[in-house]
Amino acid sequence: MKKFIVIIMAVALALTLAFVGCKTTTAETTTAETTAAATTEAAAGETKETAEAKTFGLADVPEISNKADLNLIVETGGVFDKIIPYIEKFTGKTGIKVNVERVASPVVYSKENVELVAGTGVYDLAYVETSWTNEWAQYLFDFRELAAQYDTVEAFDADISNHSPVILACGQAQGKQMVLPFYTYHMGMFIRQDVYDDPTEQAAFKEKYGYDLKAATNYKELRDQGEFFTRKKGAMLKGKVLEQDLYGLAMQAGAYQDNDEFSCYLWGKGADYVKVVKNADGSLKEYVIDQATKDAIKQTMEEYIALTKFASPGSLTANFDFVVTEQGEGRAIVQNTMFSNCFAWTAGIVKEKVADPDAKLGIYQTLGGKPYTGAWSFGVVKASKNPEGAYWLARYLASFECSEAVMKEGGQLSTRMDVLSDPEWKNAENMYPFGILVDYLLSNWTDQSYVDFIKNAWYFNSTAAGKVYEMQMSVLSKGISGELTVDAMVKELVSQTISLTSKFDKVPIREE
Amino acid sequence: MEKGRGNKKEEIDDMVGVKNNDATLSVYSLGRKPSAWETLSSEKYFKWVLLIPLILVLLIFMLYPLIYCIYNSFREGGLQGTIFVALKNYQVMLRDKSFWVPFRRTIEVTAICIICELLIGMGIAMLWNRDFKGQNLIRGLVLLPLLVAPLILSLVWNFLLEYNIGFINQLLNVMHIGRVKWWDSRIALYTICGITIWQWFPFSTSVLLAGLKSLPRDVFEAARVDGSSSWFTFRKLTLPMLSPLIVIITLLRTMWLIRLFDPLYGTTRGAVNTELLDWMVYRTAFVYFDVGYASTLAIMCLFITIILGALIFRQLIRALNAANK
Repeated sequence: MKKFIVIIMAVALALTLAFVGCKTTTAETTTAETTAAATTEAAAGETKETAEAKTFGLADVPEISNKADLNLIVETGGVFDKIIPYIEKFTGKTGIKVNVERVASPVVYSKENVELVAGTGVYDLAYVETSWTNEWAQYLFDFRELAAQYDTVEAFDADISNHSPVILACGQAQGKQMVLPFYTYHMGMFIRQDVYDDPTEQAAFKEKYGYDLKAATNYKELRDQGEFFTRKKGAMLKGKVLEQDLYGLAMQAGAYQDNDEFSCYLWGKGADYVKVVKNADGSLKEYVIDQATKDAIKQTMEEYIALTKFASPGSLTANFDFVVTEQGEGRAIVQNTMFSNCFAWTAGIVKEKVADPDAKLGIYQTLGGKPYTGAWSFGVVKASKNPEGAYWLARYLASFECSEAVMKEGGQLSTRMDVLSDPEWKNAENMYPFGILVDYLLSNWTDQSYVDFIKNAWYFNSTAAGKVYEMQMSVLSKGISGELTVDAMVKELVSQTISLTSKFDKVPIREE
Repeated sequence: MEKGRGNKKEEIDDMVGVKNNDATLSVYSLGRKPSAWETLSSEKYFKWVLLIPLILVLLIFMLYPLIYCIYNSFREGGLQGTIFVALKNYQVMLRDKSFWVPFRRTIEVTAICIICELLIGMGIAMLWNRDFKGQNLIRGLVLLPLLVAPLILSLVWNFLLEYNIGFINQLLNVMHIGRVKWWDSRIALYTICGITIWQWFPFSTSVLLAGLKSLPRDVFEAARVDGSSSWFTFRKLTLPMLSPLIVIITLLRTMWLIRLFDPLYGTTRGAVNTELLDWMVYRTAFVYFDVGYASTLAIMCLFITIILGALIFRQLIRALNAANK
């Protein structure tokens, strides 16, 4: 029996040693790599690039002595198929291998969050939805800090200033640029332009509602238009018999993007989920949920629910792909609030599926002109074993060359004004859909009042925003589907916002 | 002295698991102490050698996470660190309306799914308990839903049940029945039940069919000769004889259904009145990263499973005893 115990002890000891050994090896490796990184940083500091390059490109990436692999996680989707060759070009130029892990977008946050909080350094570049920026700011480098080390701040600013000021603001924490944008999902309202331009429809609308049919600019107009275009199979549209039921609106009211839609309406009223109060020096003082905020949320929810009557019943569990298909296949006239990177996609489906050669889309401001905005972006992780390489890769991915490829090859929307301003978008071939799309984005992004609004938006100031954002999907959905009354929904939204903010933000929050 | 030596020999032989009369294997008879290998490979200890790896795996991968989960349930905070709050999380949970609603739904879904799966499974098993052409092919095909990843199935069902373009609604429309709002908040939970039942009824069918095949024929012959009706035979013979299997199915499905998650992920994501306990645990743990409260909810799930499992297990023992009588 004694020997048996000895054997057990020996096995347990061996296992313990094996675990400890693994951990020690990892620690040693990390230390060695950190030392190597520090050496590289020192070397790089001596050879700082001083030239100001207006348009930064791969040729401007200097020799990087730290050759540690770079790892990043991105979402699945066609755009990365097109960007992988550019990442390979980066590897060719720098000799740094880049490993790209691709996962479905709903799991990007949870997968990255664990690694960032634990400081594992598994990812060198964090793939960040801009509303998570403040939450993750403590785990990311300030880009200007890295620019001062490996580049020059002037060169960095010269190139980055080509990006939309709105999107750059979304990627800042306390004024520091924590992430660089990759592509935007800035929202807009898509309408069937051919239907709105049809004289028969215009006359019928004016007769019924007493004003001209044009893209809605307020809730009443949108509601009227939703009602007007909701028709049964066999009714007429543009003088032709409908072969299927038609809905005035297409909405993504499922518990996935309902909060993005809701934000458009709420922000459009000039309100927000929480009021951000700042000190004179611009630092955060407190968050307040006052009665006016609660009233605005309640009114927005009531209006939202009223609009769902003119959308397909499928809207209650719908995501963006469903809504795109609804309008694309001619079953809906308006996508009230949709990610503008889905515009060309919808236009393509309309062209293919709607049996009307004149069918085409138009893109307009969402109600109130303050659409939900942001971009998938990249930030350099503090725990990275190669921050220098990660910095240059992030800069390259945000460069004119990659950004142009994102739009021209990947079909997503660049956040760079210089890419959007390319006259090529306005030629006869590209004017529809890209020309009108870039006009829409440029008009939004040059609106200073919108830039200021975004800088003060709660999403882009609170370190709890990522978690509250995820919570909102569920709670808003309960209100939309009738699981909770509007009043109960507002109460739960406020209560959970306060609870999560109290746990995950140091700035005090209170309800008035 | 001799006696003493004899006792020592017996002791060692006993230790290495060799009987005194087994002279060929007695290492002691060779005049030396058994080696470590001989000790470990002896009858007495070899079973432990085989069991130790499993016990270690269970300790590391099951007991440790469980204890860690219990530990976290008394703490508050996220991944950055937690603080001890004693029973606060449990108090919050018991007062939390958003816990009791998914709890009630989970019990409802568990009951509906088990009843339907057993009824369908029993019906089909009874139908198939005979020889017919292509029986092996059909029995194999019915197992297909069990072979597909549940998450993939939920995504597929989401498309199939879509209001306008979903195949099911298009079919209903062609049949002039009209489209159904499968994800309406009043019926969405039952749609989830339907998906689950569709995937899992083959499990009940297979188990019950195997049970039916193994029932003794003479008892049924005797009942037939005595002129008992089919219903009487089913009620008084088939059902009692299958009851241990029915209880086993109920036990396993209860444990699995309390953790029902996948059908929600690809469809409603907990919206439209469909949030279940496991989804709530997932949301709290991996969306809010509220580790303390999520651990409390997970422990509650485990507690419910143990309670229900123990009750059903008692029934299983009773059923087995009754079947053996």
